[in-house]
This record gives sequence, C-alpha cells and structure tokens, in this order.
Amino acid sequence: MKKLLAVVLASFVLLTACSSKENNAPNNGGNAAEGTKEITVWAWDKAFNIGAMERASEAYKAKNPDLKVNIVENAQADIIQKLNAGLNAGTTKSLPTIVLIEDYRAQSFLQAYPEAFFDLSEFIKADDFADYKIGPTSLDGKQYGVPFDSGVAGLYVRTDYLEQAGYKVADLQDIDWKKFIEIGKAVKEKTGKSLLTQDPNDLGLIRMMIQSAGSWYLKEDGTTPNLADNAALKEAFETYKAMMDADIVKANSDWSQFVGAFNSGEVASIPTGNWITASVKAEASQSGKWAVVPFPKLTTTAGSVHASNLGGSSWYVMNVDGKEAAAEFLKQTFGSDVDLYQKLVTEIGAIGTLKAAAAGDAYKQADEFFGGQKVIEDFAKWTEQIPNVNYGMHTYAVEDILVVEMQNYLGGKAIDDVLKDAQAQAETQVK
Amino acid sequence: MRGFLDRFKYHGLFIKLFMVTLVSIITVALLTSLVTIQMSEKLFMNTFSITNSKIISQIKANFESFNYSIVTASNNVQQNGTIKGFLTNPDLNSTTSLKSYYQASQQMERIQSNVAAYPVMMTITGVNRKSHSNDSTYWPNSLEKLRNSMLTVNTLVEPKRLLYQLDKENISGLDKDPVIVASRALMERTSGNQYGILYFAIKESDFKRFYASFTSGGNDVAILDQSGIIVSSNRQELIGKENLDLLSHAQEMEQKGLTFKDVNVLGENSLVLSEYLPVYDFYLVNLINKKEVLSEMVDFKTVALICVGIVLVALIIVFLISRRLTKSLTLLARQMPRIAENNFDNYITVSGSYEIKELGKAYNYMLDELNEYVRKLIQTQKDQRNAELSALQMQINPHFLYNTLASVKILVQQGNKEKAAATINSLISLLQNTVGNISETISVAQELVNLKNYVFINHVRYGDQIAVNYFIADDCYGYHIPKLIIQPFIENAFFHAFQERKDGHIYVLFSREDETLVCEVVDNGVGMEGYDHENPDHSAISTSHFFSGIGIRNVHDRISLLYGEEYGVEIVSNIGEGTRVKIKLPLHKT
Repeated sequence: MKKLLAVVLASFVLLTACSSKENNAPNNGGNAAEGTKEITVWAWDKAFNIGAMERASEAYKAKNPDLKVNIVENAQADIIQKLNAGLNAGTTKSLPTIVLIEDYRAQSFLQAYPEAFFDLSEFIKADDFADYKIGPTSLDGKQYGVPFDSGVAGLYVRTDYLEQAGYKVADLQDIDWKKFIEIGKAVKEKTGKSLLTQDPNDLGLIRMMIQSAGSWYLKEDGTTPNLADNAALKEAFETYKAMMDADIVKANSDWSQFVGAFNSGEVASIPTGNWITASVKAEASQSGKWAVVPFPKLTTTAGSVHASNLGGSSWYVMNVDGKEAAAEFLKQTFGSDVDLYQKLVTEIGAIGTLKAAAAGDAYKQADEFFGGQKVIEDFAKWTEQIPNVNYGMHTYAVEDILVVEMQNYLGGKAIDDVLKDAQAQAETQVK
Repeated sequence: MRGFLDRFKYHGLFIKLFMVTLVSIITVALLTSLVTIQMSEKLFMNTFSITNSKIISQIKANFESFNYSIVTASNNVQQNGTIKGFLTNPDLNSTTSLKSYYQASQQMERIQSNVAAYPVMMTITGVNRKSHSNDSTYWPNSLEKLRNSMLTVNTLVEPKRLLYQLDKENISGLDKDPVIVASRALMERTSGNQYGILYFAIKESDFKRFYASFTSGGNDVAILDQSGIIVSSNRQELIGKENLDLLSHAQEMEQKGLTFKDVNVLGENSLVLSEYLPVYDFYLVNLINKKEVLSEMVDFKTVALICVGIVLVALIIVFLISRRLTKSLTLLARQMPRIAENNFDNYITVSGSYEIKELGKAYNYMLDELNEYVRKLIQTQKDQRNAELSALQMQINPHFLYNTLASVKILVQQGNKEKAAATINSLISLLQNTVGNISETISVAQELVNLKNYVFINHVRYGDQIAVNYFIADDCYGYHIPKLIIQPFIENAFFHAFQERKDGHIYVLFSREDETLVCEVVDNGVGMEGYDHENPDHSAISTSHFFSGIGIRNVHDRISLLYGEEYGVEIVSNIGEGTRVKIKLPLHKT
C-alpha cells in the first residue's frame, strides 16, 4: 500500500512539474528574445530596397550570427506617416531601429527631430560616398544617414529611332536641352514617335535639370524658397514649355502608363534616374535597341553639368535600443562592403553610392541590352559628378505649387509672374 | 505468495472501501466534467451563432458603407464633364494633351476624396485609349492587359451595374495579393453611348479589413461570388478557389431564410452563417470551426489536468482516512483470534476512531469479566476442597477414641498408671493438634510429635510388634507442612500392611530433593496392587480409616490444589514386598 501511495504521490508531483514547465516556456522565450540582439528595419519596395537589405543581412550574418535583422515591408507613405506620428508624439517605442528615408524628405525629419536619430559620424565616413548624397543625409556636420542607392540620372535613348531620324549615339553624348528638343523634332517627323513622356503632376524632369546646375527649389539653408530669381529653374521651365510647344511629349498620368510608354515603343527616350533600368529591360524584345547617354545640361545656366539625380534614399538609425548594433551593422554592410555592392548591382540592379564599390568587377560588366555599353560604370562615373544640393525640408510642398503654376505657364502666363507667384505661395505655405 | 495473500486478507476491508471510493470519485469527476463541457459547448455554440449573426450584420454594414462611397465616387465620375472630355477627345498636341491629363488628374483626385477612407486605387480608361490611375504602382499592371481582361468584358456585358470581381491578373509586384475590382461602364445619360470604364481596385488584404477584426482562429469569413469563387477570406489559402459546396449552402440559407446551418465544409465540422450582399452580388459566409473554436473556449487540457489533480488529492485523502479507519479494525482482527489459544490476558490496544475504541473497550471489559469469573471459579473450587477436607479432618473416628480410652481403662485396671497417663497425654496432645485450625501448617518437628503420639497410642492398643522408625534430615525440621498429612499413610500401613503377620517395620523419612520436601512412608508389609490415584477404585482404600476419613486420594488432590501439579502423592507397591508412599511438598518455612 505504501508503494502505491508513493507512486501516486510521485506521479502527482510529476504532473505538477510538467504543467509548471509548460507555463514557464513562453517566459523563457521572452527572456531569450531580450538577450539576443534584434534590430528592426522598415523599408518599401520588395524587389529593390527590401531585397538589398536582405542581402546585406545575409552578408552580415555570415560574420556576426548573433544579430537578428527583422525586415518589415511598409509602403513609403505608411513609413512617413508612422514616423511622423511616432516622432510627433515624442515616443520612439513603436519605431524601428533602421529606417529607409527618401533623400528629398530626409532633411524634414532630421531638422525637425534631430535627437530622434542616431549620429553615425563615428561609424560612417562621409568621404567614402558620392558627395551629393552627403547634403541630404547630414545635419550640422553630423552624418545621420548611410547613403544607399544612387538616383543618378541618364538619358535612355532608342538607338533605332534615332538612327531613323539620322542620329547616332555619339551625337547624343554631352548635348544640351536645346539640342535634345531639336533631335526630338526630327524623331517625331521621321518616326511619328514622341521623344519623351511626361506626367503633368510630376516635375522630376525640372528637378533633374536644376540639380544639374547645382540649384534647388530651396536655398542653401534648406527652408527659404528659391523660385523667383532662380535662373536654373527659369530655364528649366522654359525648356519644359519648349518641349511641349515642339509637340514631342506624350502625356501620361501614372506609373504604369509611364512604363507602358517606353515598353510599347511609343517614346524614343527617357530622361530619368538609373533605377528605371530594370523596367526598361523588362521588355526583352527591345534588347540592343537602347543606349544610355549623359544627362543633357541646361544651355544658358552657368555651372550646369551632364550629371543629375532623381530620387534615391538612405538608411537612418533611430535613437532607440539596439542603435549601436544597428550602426555597426550598417557600417559593415552598406558602409564598407564592396562585395555586397557588386551583388546589389548584379542581382537587384541597385547602384550604390559608395565610391569604392565602383572599382568592383560587377560595375565593369558590359550590358548586351544596351548594345554592350558598360552602363553601370557610366552611371558610377556620373554619380561622382552630381552637384551637391540641399534638398531642404519642403521639396514636395514646393513641387505641389509648381505643378499648378506650370499649367498656368503652359496656359500662357508669363514666366516671371509664374515664378513670382509660386515664390509668394511657397513663402506663405512653408512658414 | 502465501504471506502476501495473508497480508491481503487483513486489508480486504480497506481495499474494498478504497476501490469503491476510487471508482465513484473517478466516475463522478468524469461525468461531471463531460456534462459540464457538453453543456458549455452547447451554450457557447448558441451564443456564438447569435453574436456572429450580429457581427455579420455589422460586417454587412461595413460593406454597404464602402459600396456607398464607391457609388458616390462613380456617379461623380460619370457626371464629370472634364473627365468625359479627357476620355473622349483625341490628342491634338503635347500641350493640350498634357493639359487634359493634368485636369483629369485634378478631377480624379477631387473625386477620390469620396473614397479617401479606403485604400482604393481608381482607374479610368476611355474610348480614345487614354487612361488615368490615381495610383498605379500596384494595379493595374498593364493597361493593355486590363483592356482585354475578363474584368473589362464582364463590365461591358452589364454596363449599368457596378460590378465587383476578383482580379489576380493585372497585378504588378512580386507578392501576388489579389485585388477586388469594382467596375462600371461610363456612358452618356441621354444617348447611352459608352465612353469609358471606371475601375475601383482595392487590395484583398485591405478589403478583408471590413471583417478581419471579427475573425479569429476557427472563426473564418469567406466572401463568395455567384460562381462559387472565394473572392476574399481571412484564410489566405482559400482566396481564388472555387467552393461550390459553400455556395450551395449559402444559397440554400438565402432561400430558406436560415440563420445558421450545421454542415461539414472544407473537411471540418462547422457552423455556417451566411448573408447575401445584394449590391456586391456576393455571399458573406461565416465559417465557425466547431472543434477549433471550442478548443479555444474550453481548455480541455486544463480541465483534464484539474480533474486529475482533484481526483488524486481526493484519493490521497480518502486513502489516508480509510486507511486510518481500517487500520484499527485490522489490528482488532489480528489481535482477537489469539484468544482462542487460552490467552485470556490478550488485551487489545485501544486506538482509532470512537467506534473502534468503544469496541476495543467492550472487548477488554469482556476479557476482564471473563478473567474475574475464571478467578472466582478457581477460588470457589479451592474453597470447596478446603471445606471438604476440613470436614473430613474434623471427623475423628469414634472407634479410635473408644479403643484408645478402652486401652487406657485396661492399663488403669492393670495398675499401670504411668503408661495410662502417657497414653492419655498422647491422646490429649493429638486431639489438641487435631481440633486446632485444620488449614494451618505445622513444622515437620511438630508433625513428628503428632506422629509419635499416634504411634504410641497404637502400640499401647495393639502391642509394639510393628516398629516405627523416623529418619529426618537435619535441614528438614523447620519446614512447614499441612497438618495430618502423613498420618493417614501410617494408619494405612498399621492396619493393612501387616494383616498376615504380627511384626513389621514402618519407616518415616523426611528429606530434601532440590526444591522439594520429600516425605516417605515405607513399610515391609504385604503390599498391594500398584496404586494409581487416578483410579477411582483405589480411593476406596481409605474408606475405613480409624482416625479420620481422609482418603489418600484426597491428600493427593489437596496437595495438588494447594501447591501445584508437580506436588502430590506417589505410591509404589508390590505384592509381598511392601508399600512405599512418597509425598512431595514445597519447601515452606511458615
């Protein structure tokens, strides 16, 4: 009987032991999660930015298996909204460790909430990157961002259409916009195709034009609108209207129409950032019919060069727990890993802004789609020439005003009045 | 094995008691938990279906307000002249084209404020092949494909309706989250000419927000279109699949007006609630997986664990208590049988519960009474013997007195005054000792005096041809013996051993053997057939005593009774050789 009692008691104890163990299990899990380092990354575009971060994470993991990089995909608009909401509320609780911010918007965050971002000056050498990327990613001499992709602009051209119009690729090297319009007219006449396509709501072309001359919507301080007496902007507007008047522009109103325009062969050129390469190459039937030439420069504005930028973004570390680990992670990947950049070029088509990366093999590959042109190498070369401008805090706010004014201008309003009105509106709005 | 069975025998009561309790406790626990679980399941399912039908109407309201926004927006588009112009007028040149795009986009942006609450992508396409999307990064992937898709064909078949369809074809990007597209043909009111198509696309992941917050594990929602294709569901794997079963259930419920139906769908026993969404021409189906939902509500594992725990604790308590109860009973059962072995002193340790204690006390009391009774019985017997003996001893044979007195008379007549006086003295001394307390003991020395007096009187009476000799060990004089214990044997020797001749010898010997006083009366007379004091015939020997009526047998019994079995009388006798009587007595100093 005693034996039976012992067995019963023992099994009871065992049962309680089992159940208590179960209860403890999740707690242990929680503790373990706190113990290991984990950083969260917010980015958009699965194919491009997220893909790049995944490869960086893999590369880092090979060397430092302890760090867990948790990549979260959000729409860019959502990221902006969440960042604004969190930072406005003064809490960094719900925010990620690393966040991707578009260069045009970077200053609006850095200037408004400088203490919310972690100073990476000790981790990142600004000199290692293309000069133009440093303006948007730094504040008061402190480096906050790790420059990521280059939005270096080029002029993608259909060699076959040009040839029909009597031009060779060599004729398009280092042209200005006047010449560009002239070529457009010839193309339209010979082939019936428009030279380029434009969305009236997106003045990316204007932005590229003025940056090529080292100018921007805002003055050096990043806050004062610089519209009324901006020679570069004035010439850009005039050029834009000249294109319309020359009837070489096909209108579009959204991304799919934009991509559709060149994929279906309706336009002969695309003046835009290098990130369009993937979309151009998506239409494999046009292989060999494309070339990339340097971005045209403004004719009359002094200092305009054959290099500009459209878009591009950079990585930022938020001032939250794990920031040191995140900074170290960025330093060892996007901050210095040349091999990683080769991978990004070949696998994703992302051209980075780390100067040293341009020396890698992947950058020197000839691309058959572009008739054997070493496109990446060219882009890398132009990247270094992009004039550094301060995008300031209000790029998109000013652009919204300019979109409207552009329509007025095209409708017949005098250019000086257009810019003066825009200046007045911008001044009231951004104050 | 036998030992084990024996042990088992004593625990029979405990085992039975414990087994019965064990079975009852387990049965009660099992039945109670089963009934409780079943009742709560039933109650839960009922409540669940009521709550869920309310939830469904809530979801329906969500869908309706979404549809209302879409309808408002679509009416605005339909009535908008700028948009109509954009979709119908051909492009003249870049400037006008750009302007019409710009104006259309402005109008569309304004109209989109109607659906601003929802992440909706608006697209218009026109007969002039122009189009505009508010946000085309996700949908449509390609306008060309869209124009030729089933989506557009279906819209044109029913131009007047706002048509909701699932679209998986026109999506860009890698993650294939399908979209739900509301589409409608744009037409002139008066002429009925179609000039374009308006599309509202919402990602399925956004569409499911209308109901996703109401779903949980095992409580699923699926939206089916009329062809049975699941347009949207919180279960990702179901989206785009055809499920005619579910459709037929939904249609049946719609026709019969049922609130819910208990069916087997998707391989699970489920409760199905359905609602027809007329504006969408969709069925909103709520699937409640009974097993999963119940397992979430009723934590069988915990219930079982608690049950087992309670049962175990109860069993341990029952075990201990019944063990305590039966332990004292077992002890009683073990102790009581020993009484059969003549052991009336086997008292029982009184312990355990009140009843057992009382039982033990009563048993012990009974033993007390029994012992008392036995003691009294023995005492009575002793008293009886003593009384008997004393009664016998008191009877001095009158013949003896008569003969003695007759002898004295003769001696006086013969003038032998001295001898007569000695005889009278002996008689006096003898009577003095005899008349005293019969139960008293006297020392061997005194007894010797009595014997000598008796022998002297006999010698006077019958002559002294029979010589009596005394041999007393020196250390024996002080021991006490019962009165008149030797006398009967000497008397026997005088009157029975020498009937055939006149002379003879009688020896009286006192000696000590170990712890026993041994007195022997030996004669060299005729002897007798071996004496056996158990034999009733031999007791007759003593019937004709002169001095007293005490028989040899009585002497033996008396000694045994007083001192124990090891003491008594032994007689060894052979015909012609004489008789030897051996009396064993304890050594007593008083």
